[in-house]
Amino acid sequence: MRPSPLANPLATVAQIRPSSSQIDNIPSDLEDSVRFAGARLTQAAGILLRLPQEVVAQAIVIFTRFWVGQEGGSLVQFGAEQVSQASLYLATKLSAYPKSAKSVINVYAYLDSFPSTFIDPEELHRKKDPKEYYVSEGTYQTRRDALFKVEQYVLKVLGFQLHVSLPYTLCITYLQALDVFRHPLGRELAKRANAHLNSALLSPQLLYLTHQPSQLATAAIYLAAKEVGVKMPDVDWWEVFDTDREELGFLVVGLLSVESFAMKEKEKWGEARVPMTVDAVEAELQKRSTSSGVE
Amino acid sequence: MAGASRWADEEGDRAEKDRRKKEKEEKKRAKLAKQQAEEEAKARAEQRVQRSDERPSKKRKLSPDGEEDAQPQFGERKLLRFEAPGWGPCRHTSNFETLNHIEEGSYGWVSRAKAISTGEVVALKKIKMDYNQDGFPITALREISILQQARHANIVDLREIVMGNGLDDVVMVMEFIEHDLKTLEEDMFDPFKPSEVKTLLRQLGSAVGFLHENHIMHRDLKTSNILLNNRGQLKLADFGMARHVPPPHAPLTQLVVTLWYRAPELLLGAEDYGPEIDMWSIGCIFGELLSKEPILQGKDEVDELSKIFALCGLPNDKTWPGFYRLPNAKALKIPRDTKSGSVIRSKFTFLTNAGAELLTSLLSLNPAGRPTAKQMLQHPYFTENPRPMPPEMFPSFPSKAGQEKRRKHSPNAPRRGDAPKIGGGELDFSSIFAGREEEQKGAGFQLRIG
Repeated sequence: MRPSPLANPLATVAQIRPSSSQIDNIPSDLEDSVRFAGARLTQAAGILLRLPQEVVAQAIVIFTRFWVGQEGGSLVQFGAEQVSQASLYLATKLSAYPKSAKSVINVYAYLDSFPSTFIDPEELHRKKDPKEYYVSEGTYQTRRDALFKVEQYVLKVLGFQLHVSLPYTLCITYLQALDVFRHPLGRELAKRANAHLNSALLSPQLLYLTHQPSQLATAAIYLAAKEVGVKMPDVDWWEVFDTDREELGFLVVGLLSVESFAMKEKEKWGEARVPMTVDAVEAELQKRSTSSGVE
Repeated sequence: MAGASRWADEEGDRAEKDRRKKEKEEKKRAKLAKQQAEEEAKARAEQRVQRSDERPSKKRKLSPDGEEDAQPQFGERKLLRFEAPGWGPCRHTSNFETLNHIEEGSYGWVSRAKAISTGEVVALKKIKMDYNQDGFPITALREISILQQARHANIVDLREIVMGNGLDDVVMVMEFIEHDLKTLEEDMFDPFKPSEVKTLLRQLGSAVGFLHENHIMHRDLKTSNILLNNRGQLKLADFGMARHVPPPHAPLTQLVVTLWYRAPELLLGAEDYGPEIDMWSIGCIFGELLSKEPILQGKDEVDELSKIFALCGLPNDKTWPGFYRLPNAKALKIPRDTKSGSVIRSKFTFLTNAGAELLTSLLSLNPAGRPTAKQMLQHPYFTENPRPMPPEMFPSFPSKAGQEKRRKHSPNAPRRGDAPKIGGGELDFSSIFAGREEEQKGAGFQLRIG
């Protein structure tokens, strides 16, 4: 049977539980932090490479898939920055907007030159001293080789399953079906729903790996309608879009919790940087063990 | 003692039965507990939703425990569930045992192999890693991702990707198909029958129609990329050139499609082409199936174009608006006024009028004049006599890829009638043993040198 082109490969229950990193004794809160920072890094790099959000979203889903399950990648073996790079590079290759390895490496070098992980989006485009992020020819060669190697690892771990169906266009179709755009707040509602779909990419609950696009789109519309104040039909309209009440409830809670999770992360790391390489993760673990030893 | 067999150990049986019963009950209990837990979770989730958005209570009416004055209950409403594959790491190549080599192309090496666990025969395609500036070859990546999406009865089935010890060792595992149309053609004495051509063309049209419907262009349709199994099923293969139709005005590479199957707009340097190029290739294949050899065997691009014009006539502004604006058209010196039409009708004398009409439209110089794959399948050619042969009735052939030999001609069963008399005259058997001595001197076989 041919799987529906609207459907996504989902993580199995076994894949959700212990990840490869956790088996390697990486605390799960650190894993969450790194995954969150990696997804944000991918998003930022995608913006700087002027990629459409569909391509960026696909890259983030590939990035997230890579770490899941016992057979997934472990933070002890792979740095999140490199996996993010490889995921984005792969996603552009399959899209109509291929980017050269050089552009990708330059953009990540630029992003790496910021002192902290949590930078404001406005700062992203601020012109800086090019010396801070200049990549010499020799460095470029080594980074390119590393990129190609990690790219192959990503393909291997995912078994070449790079197909990602996204909820964005479905969301618009659903809004049209609900006749939302005749409402004065229709456009605002659509924007808000889209924003929820984008933040869901960063969810520590891996919503894009556990739910189908139709369900994500429905939940985003439900929540956005509540927030914007557009009245929805007085029936179980979500069932028309293949979502049952239970899934809707779970997803709405999941979407709502992304914000508080993000705030907590920002507070937790402050000006410090989330460890995005294998060495940095090791250093962080060392730091944690010594500080707990003192107590 | 007649009733019970001596193998029956009744007590043991009873114990076994009891044990099974217990097991069943336990399972039932576990299931019930699970259900309860799920219901609780559901209730909790609902509460959470309610808390989070303070939904007015009237919505509760719709839940199954609502009052009787609520709207009519439809029982349990079934929601559409999507069947979705999962993912897992690539398996190792050692799960397959290579049987024989099939061919080597620019894209990689193809061989026949056996899955060790199931014994199933598959085709392995090892991807050539050309290390340039791009890492994993983009063509292979496209081919894999397109084949993963394009599941169709007439498209070769990609089972999985396996990897060897090194990261460079990437192998696609596909279903093994006995023949490709090109090799088959070369080994056949007569061309395919009209009814067989129809079956092949219809299956090809269905595969290409499916691809175009999903916004995929194959870009390398030719007989060597079209496989046929011994049950008459055609399968399209080799998607190394295939890609999704890009957004408008995105640059496309012009160097696609093998020369003999390349559409005129590509030869003339069009940058903005579409799925019509596949339909041209189908026209070439149609002609090839009828005449048992490629119909437009140009030596180079220019020769190919002149062969095309010789067959299909010269283009002009009327038959192909915009023709003179194509990049390479300016270099051509085409007599504008001469009347030279298509000679397709007179070249394929055995083809019915409908067939000739279809072939002419597929080989229309103007891409807009070619039918889509869907339109092609609606053509009267497929409904007129002789009707397409059912695939199950298709003849089978010895498979070259499977290393089967064409069977030597063997005598038929004797016809009814008088037995032919042996030896009208004298028969001399001495010549049979004449060369014996020389034969025994040699080894099992000899190499012929020179």
